[in-house]
Amino acid sequence: MPGYIQGRNVNLTFRPPNRGPVRALSNFDIDINEGEFLSIVGPSGCGKSTFLNVLLGLVKPDSGDLQIQGKPIVGPGTDRAMVFQEFGLLPWRSVQDNVELGLELKGMARDARRKVSQPLIEMIGLAGFEGHFPHELSGGMKQRVGLARALATDPHVLLMDEPFAALDAQTRDLMQVELLRVWQEARKTVLFVTHQIDEAIYLSDRVMVMTKRPGRAKTIFPINLPRPRDYEMRTTPEFNELKLEIWNSLKDEITV
Amino acid sequence: MSDQAAPHQGFASRYRNVLLGLLAVAIFFAAWQAVFLFVPFNPLFISKPTLILQALVSLLVSGDLLHDLAISAVPFVYGFSSAAVVGVALGIVMGWRPRVGYTLDPIMIMFYASPLVALAPLVIVFFGVGVSGKTIIIFLLSIFPFIFNAQAGVHAVDRLLINVVRSLGGSERDLYLKVIVPSVLPYIVAGARIAVGRGLIGVLVGEFFAASEGIGYAIARFGDLFALDKMFACILCIMIIAVALTEGIRLAERVAFPWRVGQ
Ligand SMILES: Nc1ncnc2c1ncn2[C@@H]1O[C@H](COP(=O)(O)OP(=O)(O)O)[C@@H](O)[C@H]1O
Ligand SMILES: [Mg+2]
Repeated sequence: MPGYIQGRNVNLTFRPPNRGPVRALSNFDIDINEGEFLSIVGPSGCGKSTFLNVLLGLVKPDSGDLQIQGKPIVGPGTDRAMVFQEFGLLPWRSVQDNVELGLELKGMARDARRKVSQPLIEMIGLAGFEGHFPHELSGGMKQRVGLARALATDPHVLLMDEPFAALDAQTRDLMQVELLRVWQEARKTVLFVTHQIDEAIYLSDRVMVMTKRPGRAKTIFPINLPRPRDYEMRTTPEFNELKLEIWNSLKDEITV
Repeated sequence: MSDQAAPHQGFASRYRNVLLGLLAVAIFFAAWQAVFLFVPFNPLFISKPTLILQALVSLLVSGDLLHDLAISAVPFVYGFSSAAVVGVALGIVMGWRPRVGYTLDPIMIMFYASPLVALAPLVIVFFGVGVSGKTIIIFLLSIFPFIFNAQAGVHAVDRLLINVVRSLGGSERDLYLKVIVPSVLPYIVAGARIAVGRGLIGVLVGEFFAASEGIGYAIARFGDLFALDKMFACILCIMIIAVALTEGIRLAERVAFPWRVGQ
């Protein structure tokens, strides 16, 4: 179903109290298909996080039209959930209580919450760590908890803002494999912001390159590589060709 | 707010550090005692540890000390606990609602910076020498660390966690209960440690001005009677209580906020 998420002419300018206005999004257009994995790459500060926050309903655009399944976004909703770069786990809550946060906020009873969280905790490989606190976990484990928390409310759309950027390279590779597995099982629509072109190609159905600030969609690259994908795929000529094309599109936007 | 020992420290060396501290305390009292081997001792102007200890024992045996402490404890508990409740609530709202903060900051800072002790006679005039007057003095002296620490705690709340709870559909009330209060708690405990000392000053001041019972009254009266050994015994007792309360809070903090150990 094309136009599952549809954005037209979305504009947003930040007006911080003691600095000049910052135009973050300018005539931003986007169409995302249901069940699609779309990655967004773009120069730092071009408005990627801002766009995800707008989709999440945390930030209101100044103008433009943004819909999910034909319904305009007016605020946060359980049809969307975000996985944050810095994890955003509540330090005073155990793994289990962090995973159940969204369910608790919905007012779900303890037993019902447990029925949802337990399989998720098993899925992310943290069975036995239910009672651990975030400071006792590695970065990779924390982000698994972040992912499980986002999945717990069973959202249709998963927004991921550089979720693996704080992880070391090996953990990152493993997390990518796991994310694909989860996505294939749960069939969410995923918007994935990253700085790594490799990561974007490896995961995505399409990769969108954004212009420098104020951000717009510049080019969209379909990734027609077969699924399920494996690690070796990154060494194929097709993969490298895509990487070069995307890099060429992106590098014009980057100023140093 | 990191006052924990280095994590690699072994048990033996930590034990040694405590001993070093206790040694300094012992040397202090020993030096106090020894001074009078060289300086003539006049019990009207000064006392010495051996006499203070004797006085402490006799006050404990007679029950006078415990009676006075019990009398003083009542307004302390009232004043301190109401300061905690009101101060924390006020501090959180002042921190979370910038308008409230801007409005109340100057007046709070004015009161905090001024020597409130000077108001004690006035409070006594209005509220009398009983429990209520003392409670109000203790309340006034101990509320500000709660207010300012709670406010600082709110300012230090991680915005990301606020966004997390909002994005999962949390209400304003959820933000308070699930993010703001838990992240402010350690700050409140730190504020409580400061407030204990100020609250104890309130006890003494309240009873210095006008009272017929209580530990502050006892100190003032023994001073007037030149019973300096008993006066110092009471002061020592207050010191021990102050240390016990602040250290007790520190220990409770370790137990209550295990997640802070790793931060
Ligand atoms: N709350 C805010 N107030 C003011 N400026 C902001 C705010 N959030 C983001 N910006 C600015 O908007 C621009 C886009 O930011 P962001 O969406 O975070 O970029 P990125 O693509 O790196 O995620 C940046 O210039 C940033 O400084
Ligand atoms: Mg960003």
